[in-house]
Amino acid sequence: MSKELTIALAGNPNCGKTTIFNNLTGARQKVGNWPGVTVEKKEGKLRHKEYDLKIVDLPGTYSLTPFSIEEITARDFILNEIPDIVVNIIDASNLERSLFLAIQILELGRPALFVLNMADVAEAKGIQINEKKLSQLLGLPVVFTIGNKNKGIDTLVEAAIEEVSRFSEGKESRDIRYGLEIEGCISRVETEILQSEINIGGVLRWNAIKILEDDKIVKKKFQDLSSSAAKKVFQTSEACRKRIYDLFEDDFEIVLTDDRYGVIAGIVKETVTNLAIKRIDMSRNIDLVLTDRFFGIPVFIFFIWAMFQLTFSLGAYPMEWIDMTVSALSGSLDKVMPPSMLKDLLLNGIIAGIGSVIIFLPNILILFFCIALFEDTGYMARAAFLMDRVMHTSGLHGKSFIPMLMGFGCTVPAIMATRTLESDKDRILTILMTPFMSCSARLPVYIVLAGSFFAEKAGTVIFSLYFTGIIIAILSGRFLRAVLFKGEEAPFIMELPPYRMPMLKSLLIHMWDRSKMFLKKMSGVILIGSIIIWALSSFPRSISYTVDYDGKINALKSDYSQMIASAATQEAEELNRQLSLELKDIENRKEQERVSNSYIGRIGKGLEPIFKPIGIGWQASVAIVTGFVAKEVVVSTMGVLYGVGTGEGEALEKALKKSGMTALSALSMMIFVLLYVPCFATVLTIYRETSAKWAGFNLIYTTMVAWGMSFLVYQTGMILGLS
Amino acid sequence: MTDTHEQEKKQFKRLFQQQGVDQFDFRFQVLEAFLKLEHHVIIKDIQVQLKADGVKLDKGFVLNSMELLCRFGFASKIEFDDKETQYEHRHLGLHHDHMVCIKCGSILEFKDEAIEKQQLKVADAYGFHMLQHKMEIYGICSKCMEHRTELVPLHKAKQGEKLIVKEFDAGRNMQLRISSMGLKIGDLIEIVSAGFGGQVVISAGENRLILGKGMAEKIRVQPFDRIKTQRHDSKQESNDTFRAPLLLSQMKTGQEGVIRKVSGESVLRRRLLEMGINRGSTIYVEKYAPLKDPIELIIKGYHISLRVHEAANIFVENVKFKKR
Repeated sequence: MSKELTIALAGNPNCGKTTIFNNLTGARQKVGNWPGVTVEKKEGKLRHKEYDLKIVDLPGTYSLTPFSIEEITARDFILNEIPDIVVNIIDASNLERSLFLAIQILELGRPALFVLNMADVAEAKGIQINEKKLSQLLGLPVVFTIGNKNKGIDTLVEAAIEEVSRFSEGKESRDIRYGLEIEGCISRVETEILQSEINIGGVLRWNAIKILEDDKIVKKKFQDLSSSAAKKVFQTSEACRKRIYDLFEDDFEIVLTDDRYGVIAGIVKETVTNLAIKRIDMSRNIDLVLTDRFFGIPVFIFFIWAMFQLTFSLGAYPMEWIDMTVSALSGSLDKVMPPSMLKDLLLNGIIAGIGSVIIFLPNILILFFCIALFEDTGYMARAAFLMDRVMHTSGLHGKSFIPMLMGFGCTVPAIMATRTLESDKDRILTILMTPFMSCSARLPVYIVLAGSFFAEKAGTVIFSLYFTGIIIAILSGRFLRAVLFKGEEAPFIMELPPYRMPMLKSLLIHMWDRSKMFLKKMSGVILIGSIIIWALSSFPRSISYTVDYDGKINALKSDYSQMIASAATQEAEELNRQLSLELKDIENRKEQERVSNSYIGRIGKGLEPIFKPIGIGWQASVAIVTGFVAKEVVVSTMGVLYGVGTGEGEALEKALKKSGMTALSALSMMIFVLLYVPCFATVLTIYRETSAKWAGFNLIYTTMVAWGMSFLVYQTGMILGLS
Repeated sequence: MTDTHEQEKKQFKRLFQQQGVDQFDFRFQVLEAFLKLEHHVIIKDIQVQLKADGVKLDKGFVLNSMELLCRFGFASKIEFDDKETQYEHRHLGLHHDHMVCIKCGSILEFKDEAIEKQQLKVADAYGFHMLQHKMEIYGICSKCMEHRTELVPLHKAKQGEKLIVKEFDAGRNMQLRISSMGLKIGDLIEIVSAGFGGQVVISAGENRLILGKGMAEKIRVQPFDRIKTQRHDSKQESNDTFRAPLLLSQMKTGQEGVIRKVSGESVLRRRLLEMGINRGSTIYVEKYAPLKDPIELIIKGYHISLRVHEAANIFVENVKFKKR
């Protein structure tokens, strides 16, 4: 019979936790989000002898205070889900700092195991750790591992299982004892809790410490159980806090932190021998270049450029293959299936819709590979270090730079890239700002409009548009920071981990996990979305056309067939060409009428009064509305609506000029396209990464900004007489 | 001296009777007691002397009498910084100045003709007619100076040092706490570890004790085996040391210092502490970012970055350039 055990992995960021997790579980992992928050939750399974082990990778934290989501998530998991054992991964080369989290985990009173990872790095640094002594002092097993060489992993599992059985036989975890005063306070509160006869769960000592530390979450839990008992306990704890303050002139939690470091210092002193080997610190040498005062930023820009190139240039090839496959699929289905509404739905709705999203897959894979590379080597922290000053001006974190920059390529992966940001506020803010970075799909719109109306100055106009986007993003950042995200900014306290050789396996797992999440999230909603948009653009089906196009086509065909039959071979070819041209013209006109009569066209026309003040006519309005599907569609819709068909640039230019569009209204439209609602896929991504609230907010906010800016430009232009 | 004292007593009798001061006998006893004492005395000293003479007078009366003695020129009042008012004999025609030790409170009398003359000259130069003057020099007496170099507060001691506990500079509560831990004056202790949040782990015999910063500050110790030349070396080394605490944000690339205080808003402070930026840790400024904002620091053997305005919450002392 197999026994099931849950093992939670905890540890500091950059302690090699994920590597050990990957080594333990291989490909059998599940990545998702922790309930309620967008912190990645990783789970894996492992079979060891008669045990079925479920491994849960907790978020990397430095402490278990309730300040960040990661910390609360990790703590709640240990307290509420009650894993059978908590395996704390410790960076052996950085024992002192790691022990701070370790003794907090110990305090939770769950079975625990300490893993001294990166034993080789520690050795190279001349650090020798007496693990027997450490295990003796802390009262739990301690094992050595070298994560990236897969050493000691089996010992880890064995030790974990052993420790679990020891606990089931009645072993209890050892308490860490602090200074006299602190201990006095703890026992006073403990007694008070015992007297209240309320079971708040978890270890008594831990609860007492948390109440003394003024931990809001534990206090609230207690209060909910019994407010009268809680009041009494809180009175005692307040008295204790005051006493500590009087004695040490500092808050209890600060004094306790000091005490913890005192205990740690004692442990380190007894267990660590520092051999005075002075090795060359490779990391510092690399940083001599990478974060240098002069070279740092150019090198960074080069890396980003390379990432951009890889993502969008290299990604273009597989994108083309996907595009070809999708069109081949729809082409073959087109031949096989009889014409029906179902066929239309399948081809123009579902396949086209899913195709338009799946086409981003290569981009996303490459991008996530690059980001995983940056993260795993340790360069990401440097990038944030270099760029923080710039990003800070708009109230953001240095790490926001990369997602913002990716926004120039495609907003969808850019929003996914915000996962590297730890603070929720920073993430949401970055997500809201990224759509203002002009994505590559908007470029065709600029090319057509600027090309038609600004001729030689087109380049400058397009450049200014990109620049406007950046400025609007920065202003929005400051505005939103001041209005919606008030309060202290998250402190920028970031470890700059030593550079490490990335492991291909871990890079690939990282890349695939995130991409998989993207695909999974997309597939459901995109299906429904594409069906809705398809329906809007293809209904109502029975349009009473003003002209009998079909009759015209048939008449034309019969006319030409007679002429061709009687003509010579050469002339016949010429006639054939003429026929197809005229047929196309009629079909274009038919399509123009159909689209303008479809629901989406009616919406566009209905919106005309709104677009009028910004100088945009009904055809362009409809094009803008269809642009919600994907920005690429704007140009093709304009083609249809101006009756020139899709994909013929020059004809469209002429048609645009003929339609009475002016340079000013073209500029106004370009600004609108730059700033308005990002595409359907982006809104979905925002919804998935944050919440419906923020997706909705983004929709409204961007549109308002776009309209406002266009209005400003158009009306100013009109006043200045620039039409 | 006795002669002058006798003379003064006579004058006193005459003057006081002339003025018709009340309770003459008691006042006379105060004078007698006062004259028996030498140097600088406070009211309490006089009361003790009176008691020894078999007279019991309350503080208010003694104080009142001393005020009178001052008024009639038998005593003079000296008020040094934040000390109780002291009285000294006033022997007419004799003048002297004071040096006050801020450490042990002892007062040295001195007279220097050159200074006296110089004072007159200075007053003269400003067209000022001097009637009287008072000069007090505050400092540390030679005895305390000698002591001072020997005694250091425990939290300043280095890891591995062997020390003898010399005195507890603490209030009653703290003294009680210290002695309840089993630490007494004269104990030989060894520093097991120091510098982590100002906390000191010491071994006293078989005992291992953790002392918080507040406590360690108040225990003065003497190095057990410090050799004079060693001290000489350290003096040379500290030539480029800025003693006054600096803000971390004021430090330059390549400087190292010991964190003295982490202030700021509670959340930030706790975060900093959790990352190992605590009192007593050594911190090294690795570099500033190219745009001058975040600072890269090395602490507890790892690299960390902070924004400048966050670094401004951290006070660092013993800042000096160091090669790493």
